[in-house]
Amino acid sequence: MHIMEGFLPLQWCIVWWIIALPCLALGLYQLKKVLAADREALPLLGVTGGFIFILSSLKLPSVTGSCSHPTGTGLSTISFAPWITSLVCAIVLLFQSLFLAHGGLSVLGANIVSMGIAGPVVGYGVYRVLRDTSVNMYLTVFLVTALADMFTYVTTSLELALAYPAETGGFVSSFVLFMGIFALTQIPLAIVEGIVLALVFKYIVVLKPDILIRLKIFSEEKINAARDDAS
Amino acid sequence: MKFRYSLEALAIIAIIVFSGIFLYTSSTMDGAEFAGSDNVGSGLIAELSGIPLENFQPLIPQWEPPSGEIESCLFALQAAAGGAMVGGVFGFWMGSQKKA
Repeated sequence: MHIMEGFLPLQWCIVWWIIALPCLALGLYQLKKVLAADREALPLLGVTGGFIFILSSLKLPSVTGSCSHPTGTGLSTISFAPWITSLVCAIVLLFQSLFLAHGGLSVLGANIVSMGIAGPVVGYGVYRVLRDTSVNMYLTVFLVTALADMFTYVTTSLELALAYPAETGGFVSSFVLFMGIFALTQIPLAIVEGIVLALVFKYIVVLKPDILIRLKIFSEEKINAARDDAS
Repeated sequence: MKFRYSLEALAIIAIIVFSGIFLYTSSTMDGAEFAGSDNVGSGLIAELSGIPLENFQPLIPQWEPPSGEIESCLFALQAAAGGAMVGGVFGFWMGSQKKA
């Protein structure tokens, strides 16, 4: 999902930075508020953020014959809403642009929008819709994670198609082409990522159900029922 | 008795299927180089814009890892940092659960 440094015209770099910055500011504000209200949210932030670090460093091969990496943003999105997730993603993406030449400082805004904002916002929407229904909690985590991952790559395609419309067919036809590279490669990765993070969520439920209940991530009944199933 | 490890089983199956698909594509697909989709995407940008790939210069000067070895070292470092956070917190939670 990284757009490489120099591959996005200056005006688009500025547009995406302008979208990204207020979200990061909001994330910083919310993070302060959450941590001031409950210090025990910090370990949860460590776990959910840790998975963004791990998963976004794994470049996995896919059916299209190219490699891509998962984003790992699902757990953080469910636990802390999209904006704090944007902040964690910004840290990871900054590290990758400074030391790994994956992305770059001018395109960082665009990459934050795709991985840290668009994906998590979609995931969070799915979570809010499913949270209070009878849909299984782990299925919810799976769907949120897989869709946040997928939508990150859809957004990257969108960003590139806006900047590089095809001569014939314009925006739509280049969007389809970029989707063919990014989104198609991502489908199997998103599914595996969803299952793995649902499993991780199970361990959080077993080990630290009280923090999930206090932060009102899922209802107490759902968490207790899942806990009874696991022990 | 209810089977407690269905999620674990599902995760293992998913990973095995995923690896199986990889082995299959890598042995049957012609021209599968398993390059990063980022690079494939950049190739398409060059094609669509008609600007040769080497003409795309960084807008902000950028340090590049001198070799693939150093790049993979730094990626491993990133994953290790994440692993340390995850392992540390799970250990902390398990420890405080035992105490209580």
